[in-house]
Amino acid sequence: MRFAVRRLGFTLAVLVASSVVVFVVGRLAPGDPVQLLLGDVRDPVTEARVRRELGLDRPLWAQYLRFAGRALRGDLGESYANPGRSVNRMVAEALPPTARLAGAAVGLALLLGVPLGILSAVRRAAATDVLARLVALGGMSLPSFVAAVLLIRWLALGWHVVPSSGWGDLRHYVLPVLVLLVQPLAYITRVTRAGVLRVLPEDYVRTAHGKGLPPWQVLSRHVLPNAAISVITIAGLAFSYALTGAFVVETIFRIPGLGQAAVGALFLRDYPMVQAVGLLYAAIFIGMNFLVDLGYALIDPRIRYR
Amino acid sequence: MTAEAAPLAAVAPMAPAAARAGRLRRALRRDRTLLPAAVILGLIVVASLLLPVVSPYRYDQQSLDHTFEGPTARHWLGTDQYGRDLLTRLAHGGRISLVVGVVTVLAEILLGGLLGGIAGYAGGVLDEWLMRLTDMMLAFPALLLALLLAAMLGPGVTAVVVALALAGWPAMARTVRGEILALKQREFVVAARAGGASASRVLLRHLVLNTVHLIVVRATLDIGPIILTEATLSFLGLGVQRPTPSWGVLIADSFQYLQSAPALAIIPCLTLSITILALNFVGEGLAEALDPSVRGAP
Repeated sequence: MRFAVRRLGFTLAVLVASSVVVFVVGRLAPGDPVQLLLGDVRDPVTEARVRRELGLDRPLWAQYLRFAGRALRGDLGESYANPGRSVNRMVAEALPPTARLAGAAVGLALLLGVPLGILSAVRRAAATDVLARLVALGGMSLPSFVAAVLLIRWLALGWHVVPSSGWGDLRHYVLPVLVLLVQPLAYITRVTRAGVLRVLPEDYVRTAHGKGLPPWQVLSRHVLPNAAISVITIAGLAFSYALTGAFVVETIFRIPGLGQAAVGALFLRDYPMVQAVGLLYAAIFIGMNFLVDLGYALIDPRIRYR
Repeated sequence: MTAEAAPLAAVAPMAPAAARAGRLRRALRRDRTLLPAAVILGLIVVASLLLPVVSPYRYDQQSLDHTFEGPTARHWLGTDQYGRDLLTRLAHGGRISLVVGVVTVLAEILLGGLLGGIAGYAGGVLDEWLMRLTDMMLAFPALLLALLLAAMLGPGVTAVVVALALAGWPAMARTVRGEILALKQREFVVAARAGGASASRVLLRHLVLNTVHLIVVRATLDIGPIILTEATLSFLGLGVQRPTPSWGVLIADSFQYLQSAPALAIIPCLTLSITILALNFVGEGLAEALDPSVRGAP
């Protein structure tokens, strides 16, 4: 419990630190926001007024406090690229496709990776083990856009099974989910395999075998529950991986999600939007890390804050 | 470190290094993937360094009469949409990946190794605060940091290297700090101190020299993800800028010709994947041979 409280304190500190980073990036980035907003208008009076309205005439720390205060209330300002549109709205509109894709990819990765990991741990050096290690290593080595290129080439352009880009009905999910699946699948297979291998030599597993339980019951009652916690915590991290994958996948498949919005905002120097996506991602990542740490502490009481 | 190695080390101070050389030779014999992966990696490195020198083409030399050519005697891998030689561009891309990987890893070693070494050697409050800092950095997603820095510094190789080094040094610092901390307690270090060796001699000859292998392992394992992230950023248009032909740029530019000229995209894709895969195999092989703590990991 003490551990959880200290870890929570640390997590909040990291969140504050990353909000400072995100703020500084928005402030120090090239380009004057006032000029960006006004476009071709060159009027010193208007410029001064807009500057005052945005709070840009005040010292940096005051600007940060204002930024942080508004961010806490859930107000991240107005887009530079689309004047009059609040960044909140833009994020809210872009979030659903990204969340659905990431959710589908992680769900599938769990459905495939967990059995594969278990099989490969239980029957080491069998064909499944070789397959699992190949999936794990290949997934770590295969860049997502390479996977996308290959899949588009054969599934979309070669056999016309699915559309190569766009967003709308269920068929548009197939390729992006397959691409997003690669890394989490590798990760989950690896962790499941390691988790089961860690439990297998335990005394209670040997005892269960010794008292004559059939192997599948030993597995389902004694091995899996004890190996499961690490897999569940890792699913959270896999979700963060899939969210990061969105940057590439959404750009390739032209999906109107957060990743495409963020990359587009970077090109347009739409800093409020960049800041909003940065804050959201940082919060998700740091929150997931917190949950994973708690999960590890639950599994292994020896892990404590140092 | 392992308990059974300790008496040996007390007799001969440099025993760990000798034992490591033996372990590496044994690993080369046992691990059937390490040698082929190392050879492939070596070929890619040599080709990237040599080909741009011997090639009769510049990477941006256009030849509009010879666009989308297949492999010929003049263009071994064919030409792209402007008739530029794919092999030459690929080799230049390899150079960029190599430079980004090596420079980033060196920066990581300098920053992380120095801070980690200081933290491990000094201990106390300094150690605690430095480790807090690494914890914080590790909690921040690397690709996001790279994207934000690309926004701040403007896209380009510099932003990529700075972002990747900033994201990578904490892991290096933790590795070095942990090892220095463990080495400080070992008999041969205590013996050297008791024998009146100066602090700088203990630090350089005993602590740093016995940490080098771990730094090498960490660096090899890191180069793969670094090259991958550079390619990803360049693919998105936020990393290396055109006309410089980084692998990410090559893949992004050939993407629209996937239907008519698939080789143009698939060849750089395969080159990148094979490089990353070879780096992973070499890294894991080295780790297993040199770093006892990762042995048995899947």
